[in-house]
Amino acid sequence: MSEEKFIPEASVGTPQGKGSGSTMERRSFFKWLSIGWLAFTAATGAFFTVLIRFLFPNVLFEPPQSFKIGYPEEFEIGKVDIRFKKKYNVWIVRNEEGMYALSTVCTHLGCTPNWLDTERKFKCPCHGSGFRATGMNFEGPAPRPLERFAIHLADDGQVIVDKNKNFKFEKGEWGRSESFLKV
Amino acid sequence: MDALKHAIDLLSAPTISFTLITVLFPFVFPPGDWFEKIHRKLGFWRIWTKPGLYISLVLITLFFIMGYYDPNFNITLTKPDNFPIILLVYSVVICTWLSMYKAYENDKRMDRGEKPAEYNDPDDKVLVWPDLVYIEFIALIIFMVFLIVWSVLVAAPLEEPANPAATPNPSKAPWYFLGLQEMLVYYDPWLAGVIFPGLIIVGLMAIPYITTSSDNLSGFYSFKERRVGIFLFMYGFLILWIFLIFIGTFFRGPNWNFFGPFEYWDPHKLVPLTNVNLSEYFWVKWIKTGLPSNILLRESIGFISVIIYLGVLPVLLAKYVLNDFLKKVGPVKFSFFVFFGLSMLSLPLKMYLRWMFNLKYIIAIPEWFFNI
Amino acid sequence: MSKKKSKQTLIERMGNSQIWKSIIRSGIPRTRRQRMHAILGSVFLHLHPARLPKHAVKIGYTWCMGGLSFFLFVVLTITGIMLMFYYRPTVEYAYTDIIDLGEQVPLGIMRELHRWGAHAMVLTVWLHMLRVFMTGSYKPPREFNWGVGVLLMTITLFLSFTGYLLPWDQLAIWAVTVGTNMARATPFLGNEGPGAAMLAIGDINLVHAGSDVRFALLGGRFVGEATLLRFYVLHCIGVPFIAMIFMAVHFWRIRKDGGISGPL
Repeated sequence: MSEEKFIPEASVGTPQGKGSGSTMERRSFFKWLSIGWLAFTAATGAFFTVLIRFLFPNVLFEPPQSFKIGYPEEFEIGKVDIRFKKKYNVWIVRNEEGMYALSTVCTHLGCTPNWLDTERKFKCPCHGSGFRATGMNFEGPAPRPLERFAIHLADDGQVIVDKNKNFKFEKGEWGRSESFLKV
Repeated sequence: MDALKHAIDLLSAPTISFTLITVLFPFVFPPGDWFEKIHRKLGFWRIWTKPGLYISLVLITLFFIMGYYDPNFNITLTKPDNFPIILLVYSVVICTWLSMYKAYENDKRMDRGEKPAEYNDPDDKVLVWPDLVYIEFIALIIFMVFLIVWSVLVAAPLEEPANPAATPNPSKAPWYFLGLQEMLVYYDPWLAGVIFPGLIIVGLMAIPYITTSSDNLSGFYSFKERRVGIFLFMYGFLILWIFLIFIGTFFRGPNWNFFGPFEYWDPHKLVPLTNVNLSEYFWVKWIKTGLPSNILLRESIGFISVIIYLGVLPVLLAKYVLNDFLKKVGPVKFSFFVFFGLSMLSLPLKMYLRWMFNLKYIIAIPEWFFNI
Repeated sequence: MSKKKSKQTLIERMGNSQIWKSIIRSGIPRTRRQRMHAILGSVFLHLHPARLPKHAVKIGYTWCMGGLSFFLFVVLTITGIMLMFYYRPTVEYAYTDIIDLGEQVPLGIMRELHRWGAHAMVLTVWLHMLRVFMTGSYKPPREFNWGVGVLLMTITLFLSFTGYLLPWDQLAIWAVTVGTNMARATPFLGNEGPGAAMLAIGDINLVHAGSDVRFALLGGRFVGEATLLRFYVLHCIGVPFIAMIFMAVHFWRIRKDGGISGPL
């Protein structure tokens, strides 16, 4: 019975001379198929990349990140200056050796702490984190100290705070010269 | 009256109230035979009878009435945005009661060998027009009337214009996220704000794939055959979600300090919040050397305890406690079940670690923003 | 229907008119056949089956919470569109427009309806989930639809959250500040999330405050003008659009999974 079984010609691999052509066709078909799929995947990926990139504008209309705050003599020693909190989100602290600019963003969830002068600490109203005047966290859920911003003197003797650069204590960056202005 | 208020203030402190309801919970929703026995013996089953509902509604109403006439509680209670919470309390109590009441009725029927109350002859159906569309229509009208009355009576809240420099004290997330905000007291944002909410969503979606009670228990209220599942779900829903929302709304005041419902919200209330990391406990207080400078060595104890909790504990559970369950569902479902269960448990666990040992972080690597 | 044709009431005459019959083919639903046809022939009502088991129409079984959630979505869509006629999503105007909505616009409760409706929807969705869990209706064959429902609940919360910012008052910006600051801590994608520091080429951080997932959500480094616009667009178009897709799947799957759950 088995000899009589009908085998369609197309299902047999390469019977005669035209065989080589059909393997070529099959091979090139797979080549084009994979190229096609690759191209499709790449195009889809590129589309979504562009879509996500679209969410990030090239220009931000936010207040300037670098600004002058006045002359060093205007700041009292041992006092936390809260005048620039509202406009620039920084506190300026002056001690015997010099001054530094603290970020007003709580390192827990970004609320704005309040400076309590009697208790000599920054206290965050959202979840109760507390920071010393140095910016060190000592109570509540805040995981790390407040960040400091770059601070230096301009040519006219005024103090410039540059918020583009910040210094994190836990990375040992408070030791850098830019983070502290010796007066 | 003042003594009662003072007692409620004391009882509602999270350490006490959370412990109380956690301990009572398995006797209210008994997940096992032993709990069931005490549930019957102490009369907790009466909560799921009609008098039980009336008494709980009266108690809740008395509590709110008392709050309304209290100068301190009145302030939080009558805030327009807190009105949904009052609705939430009533509707969750009524709905939980209704489902448990019906479940107990059905359990009794099934013990007698009857079909559940929802059962009807499959050939005996009602027409959607008019039976259902009219019910829907009436429900819509009643609900719309309710919504309009609510809108006329309570003005939508509008506070002062936005001021990015002045954070109100306390500042709260929308009420439905207060459970998450409460979680933030104990865990870092990447866990409490991102990982845990993600796990809640995935875990909820996974429920039908990891439960074991029979598929035939679908389509009617029942408790007995599904008691472990209902116990776990209800603990998550009622305690770790609704109760934390309630606490966050009414009991969290300035500086996110805890205040009893009848307590004055004193912004200068001093609560010592000095918390200590596990690594400091180990290296400084216990072995009395300083903290090692190598981060991984410093936090090795923390890593080991997390690995034990998520890696070794499931194996122990599989071997000694839940071996029947493992045999029933196989290792894959078992692993997922235990992982979700332990993740859920990690919230009350950390709460107690904080309350008892002032523990801040188990693993504390602020350098990498990796704190657990 | 044994009445004589000559003594038709007004309603019957209307029901048999060509206009009526062109809209509702089955005429006035009086007979069993017509009533079933009334459901099947209506694009809105055919979400329902023509017949239901008796327990399915009992309020004690369903609590009507799923239906009310959908109804509230419709109410919120309508009131939301009305509010959009007056509200401008800019830092300058948003707050005053909200005040005007209460004081200068007739029927000054439109905003209340929208806000309280949104709160009520969060509630009804949760209670719907509780009902479905307690009746065991998430079990096979409905496990996929339970998952869709969980996603719909998440979407509902996100819808409500994006709307929370729009009044631009203290309540709004601080709730959203606290809420979106969590995104800062997303592992790998947030600039203060674990693992973000690993995504760096040499000294250049790829994930920083100006390039993380929170920035994409806010359109800036803090909650400001761009955030208001982004949340407005998400609230009015983006999220409702996603919600509608999931709702379509949710409702369709109820029918495909064997209709409302019931004891076998």
